[in-house]
Amino acid sequence: MTTSTEPQRLVFFHDADVVDRSPVALGRLTELMDVTVPAYPGFEGQFDALEHRWESWNCAADLAHHHKAVLHGNDDRPVHVAGAGFGGWVALELALLAQRSMASLVLVAPYGVKLFGPMEREFADVLLLDAAEQIRLGWADPARCTGMRMPDYPAALPDEQREIAFAERATLARYAWKPFLHSQGLSRWLGTIETPTLIIGGRNDGMLCEGHSRVVAEQMPNATYVEIPDAGHYPYLEQADAFFEVVTGFYDQLGGKS
Amino acid sequence: MKFYHFSEMPYPYVPPEVEEAHGGLKYFMPNRYYDPVRGHDLYQRYLDEYELADELGFNLMVNEHHQSAATLHVSCTLSAASIIERTRHGRVLTLGTPLPHRSNPVRVAEEIAYLDNVSGGRINCGFVRGVQGETYPSNENPARNMEMFFDAHDLIKEAWLQHDIFSWESEFYNFRYVSIWPRPYQQPHPPIWVSGTAGRLVEWTAQHGYTLCNLLGTYEDTANSFRLYRRAAMNDGASEPGPENFAYLSLCHVAETEEKARDIGRQLLWYLKAGKQSLGAAIPPGYSSPSAAVAAMKGTLGAVRKLSFEDLVDAGIALVGTPDQVAGKIRELYERTGVGNLILMNQVGEMTSNQVRDSLLLFQREVMPAVSGLGADWKDDDTEWRTDTDTKPVKPVLASAVS
Repeated sequence: MTTSTEPQRLVFFHDADVVDRSPVALGRLTELMDVTVPAYPGFEGQFDALEHRWESWNCAADLAHHHKAVLHGNDDRPVHVAGAGFGGWVALELALLAQRSMASLVLVAPYGVKLFGPMEREFADVLLLDAAEQIRLGWADPARCTGMRMPDYPAALPDEQREIAFAERATLARYAWKPFLHSQGLSRWLGTIETPTLIIGGRNDGMLCEGHSRVVAEQMPNATYVEIPDAGHYPYLEQADAFFEVVTGFYDQLGGKS
Repeated sequence: MKFYHFSEMPYPYVPPEVEEAHGGLKYFMPNRYYDPVRGHDLYQRYLDEYELADELGFNLMVNEHHQSAATLHVSCTLSAASIIERTRHGRVLTLGTPLPHRSNPVRVAEEIAYLDNVSGGRINCGFVRGVQGETYPSNENPARNMEMFFDAHDLIKEAWLQHDIFSWESEFYNFRYVSIWPRPYQQPHPPIWVSGTAGRLVEWTAQHGYTLCNLLGTYEDTANSFRLYRRAAMNDGASEPGPENFAYLSLCHVAETEEKARDIGRQLLWYLKAGKQSLGAAIPPGYSSPSAAVAAMKGTLGAVRKLSFEDLVDAGIALVGTPDQVAGKIRELYERTGVGNLILMNQVGEMTSNQVRDSLLLFQREVMPAVSGLGADWKDDDTEWRTDTDTKPVKPVLASAVS
């Protein structure tokens, strides 16, 4: 990766059920970049945010509007944006609003785009599935599952944590219930996002229908798709080294072009 | 005391192994297990029972659920329309239309007004939030359920009360021109009933003076919920609510002997068996507060479903026994809760039509005369629920079976 005296900024929009919202979730990338993970209103630590005005928000685009200012730091460093799953949807909505302020976009198995016919189930029902089923679908090897919190996972979760998990599910329902995990506007305007984009999919991702992330990349003019083997919906957690190599390779290529 | 006959009109022919494989009979049951020929026979049989109940002096209640073998009522208003055509006397209670699950509240206002006109004012109009799992057939957002309920209600009320064209542009519903035809027969609108136990909903029901219905709660929980209602109503400036403001739904079967009543009545348990639903279906995100969701997950909510048949009978949630025994339980129910409307689920699961008819006839002949006078002079009765003597604190309601 191209380095300079000051690390470049990376804004990472996290997925809904992954509990670690610190930059550490991105592993070695934090050694190279200045990583920010925005907090979503209605998630842990943010239930009382904005005097509860977020309770009427009903789409990931609302989060994108809310976080738009994060692209404008105190200096002129270019801002790279990334997002995983639900956070990938937020990042895409942000790109529709402010692509000229983004240096690049890295999306890990993003939700948000409905590609196929009305009877195609493109997204696993994260608001209905039991944790065991979600883990089976979301990980190439469920035994590797780590860093997740759902109302029924882990089994020994204290009541206080369970309440937080239920409250976060409720918030996710506000943003994602209907249309389910996608926005018709994003599906319509996806092709206008010209930001250099890397879309990463896990070969064993059961949370999205087969080929979903690849087709999203095909519908964006400057996107590349890379599939990581032996990984599910969370390749940055399940195959951290491979994820690091792919992402830094992308950033190196960007640096070479610029 | 007024009595309502009720059947959920179940389809009892789904094989147990199929029920097991789909986590219960509701919401996620493929309809390949429905036989239209048997279904037609069931509908005619259930409607015949409503007709008999009307002739015997019962009022009549219908409800609705969706994508469910447990209930073939698919719309309160459709079922009420069928029953109105077959009956002449009883009031017809639609309890209830699940407002958040109806995309068009104006249509609800119209349909209720139609029923009220055709029946000459026999409609009691119930509104409900819809039980948890109804979220999935309608695909309406569970996290906004309560707000949609209130918004839809407000719009329906205006559709009944306004006599000129108006517009409604709210967060959930948008109509530029509303003026329904017909207007309700009962002016300004039919009596409104609400079922539920959530504190905010009970208080709201009280503040509007609507009838509050408890479904299959313990008498203690029911009294507690009604206590909250009475206090909320009076804090809002209303006079002390009487028995007509309260309703209770129980399971019911009477027979000449206790043994026979219990033998047949045991089939009522079919209604309470809990399917093995996924967590998301049992507790849709945002439908309940996080603390209530945790309580439900730990089995505190819905505890009535876990009671044995004998315990349900002892508790009076299942009114099963001889006419004397059942009349005694109804007296106890009145004395402990002050309820003035009793909805009797007289048919459940595979109970035969003859079993239902025998119970209806015996209830009409021997129970109804014994207890129909309850609450007529409620201000003179020696009860524990009058607001000047009831100083118990209001507690959260946790044991309701179905909400």
